[in-house]
Amino acid sequence: MTREEQVKEVGRRAGARVVGIAAVEAFRAKVPEGYRPEDILPGARSVVVAGGDGPTAGAWRSPDHRVMEITGYDLRENVAVHAMCDFIETTLSYRAIQAPSLPVHGHEPPMSMMHAAELAGLGTRSLAAHIILNPEYGLLYYAALITTLPLEPDPPLAEPACPHPGCAAMYKRIGTTPCLRVCPACLAGKVNDGRIQESTYDREKCHSRAQTYGIGSFQKGLLQIVNEDDPARRRTMIYGDFFTKSLQSLGFFRDSIAQCFECMRVCPVGRKYRKLQ
Amino acid sequence: MSPLPPNATATLKSVALKSGALVCGVADAAVFAARAPEKQRPDDLLPGARSVVVVGGAQPREGDWAATSPWVLQTMGTTERIQGVGRRLAQYIESELGYYALYVPPGTASGDTPFLSLMLAAELAGLGSKSLAGPVLNREHGFMYWSAVITTAPFESDRLEAEPACPAPPCREMWEREGTTPCLKTCPSSEGGCLSGKLENGRAVRTFYDAARCNTRVHTHWVGGFQKVLEETLNEPDRDRRKMLLYGDFFTRSLWAITYSSTNIAQCFECMRVCPAAHGLKEMK
Repeated sequence: MTREEQVKEVGRRAGARVVGIAAVEAFRAKVPEGYRPEDILPGARSVVVAGGDGPTAGAWRSPDHRVMEITGYDLRENVAVHAMCDFIETTLSYRAIQAPSLPVHGHEPPMSMMHAAELAGLGTRSLAAHIILNPEYGLLYYAALITTLPLEPDPPLAEPACPHPGCAAMYKRIGTTPCLRVCPACLAGKVNDGRIQESTYDREKCHSRAQTYGIGSFQKGLLQIVNEDDPARRRTMIYGDFFTKSLQSLGFFRDSIAQCFECMRVCPVGRKYRKLQ
Repeated sequence: MSPLPPNATATLKSVALKSGALVCGVADAAVFAARAPEKQRPDDLLPGARSVVVVGGAQPREGDWAATSPWVLQTMGTTERIQGVGRRLAQYIESELGYYALYVPPGTASGDTPFLSLMLAAELAGLGSKSLAGPVLNREHGFMYWSAVITTAPFESDRLEAEPACPAPPCREMWEREGTTPCLKTCPSSEGGCLSGKLENGRAVRTFYDAARCNTRVHTHWVGGFQKVLEETLNEPDRDRRKMLLYGDFFTRSLWAITYSSTNIAQCFECMRVCPAAHGLKEMK
């Protein structure tokens, strides 16, 4: 087994659905200086990316919208990344860190997991909110590690996962795709010769819908509560479902990170894994 | 529809135990109709549901119960480990067996209403029965936390537990002697507590549990604690007192509880601490 296969096997055993490798040099073309892997870990040579499952097919099928609002994630990709880091440091004696992926300014993370997944050959950007789609599994969640271990990188995908042939055919017929049709508020785009020619994604609008309960809704609720002069109304707001669920989403139910999945619900990429008995 | 492979139920249970569950049982999804209110039945969450797989475990260890510091059980939660097992089983059922599986969210759908009662699911899966103190107790392991997966897979269901763990023999004796049991005595509703009940012929014939009152004690430092201090702070006109409220231990611990120590979901375990059926079932050195 090669080193690359060993590392990937450790990741898959820890729960990753897919694992890919990118060389740090690959980031230079699109990532500004100061945000590249070697700016985060001196001497970095490789980035290993793990993709983990999202909601189960059963969760997608639930008629109770609240199920997908508060649960559905395993977030095993983070566990897989830590398992691979441990393996690289303890067995192979190279440095390894989990790549920082949470926003530090506005919506900007120190390192883009979406870009890392693309460069590691795990998927390509889609018309649907630019979400990275894996050609086999569709929507996955990504985490990455940066390491000083030199590894043979995987090539980026030769063929994009989006648009799916069915969507390209639909665009030819009626000038839209399932995702563009289901959410014209957030998405727009053009398809030409079966390829994305143009794609617009209104992130601000999407954010307010996809993350109804979370840090943003906590801040929104808190501001309204603080600005409310009437103690009785304040009390209603503090103990109401909206603020309570926002608090829960920050804490115990912290895997609650999205509440709108409509563009992904209609996406055919990886759908075969959602068609069960 | 292709049938489940032979031994699918046994294999599933083996996966559950290897993943960290202490017990695993299966309830027929149809039996919930008689006991669960509408909108809280398996089929309401997953159309075509045939089974509910329940796993139990991740309870406080014997060392936790033996610890003399109240802060051990107040700040060290263990429940999240069993939720990880539930999630894993849902993925196993879908990827290995090809049936839909929905991991039941452990939180509430609205207010205090759960998506599906995990305690009822545990009872119907033959893993335990309700105690005078409220929690479902397993005969072998006592008090534990539960996680459940609703699935369209027709697993073989388990029978209800024939003999309840509660009341335990020492509690029955105590009832004969004193007209109470350890849990009823430690938290009597007649004296501001949460529990009352009655035994006849060694069986509970009446139980009462004040869930709302219990909630305010069990979740002292959780979401409710945060909301309480926030309201008090906003109602407080004095700046210095506001500062004390926000930096005080109560609010600080509430913040720890809902964020970093997010598994910390209970701070009162008194009814379980005194219960001979809840823990201490295995002799420890």
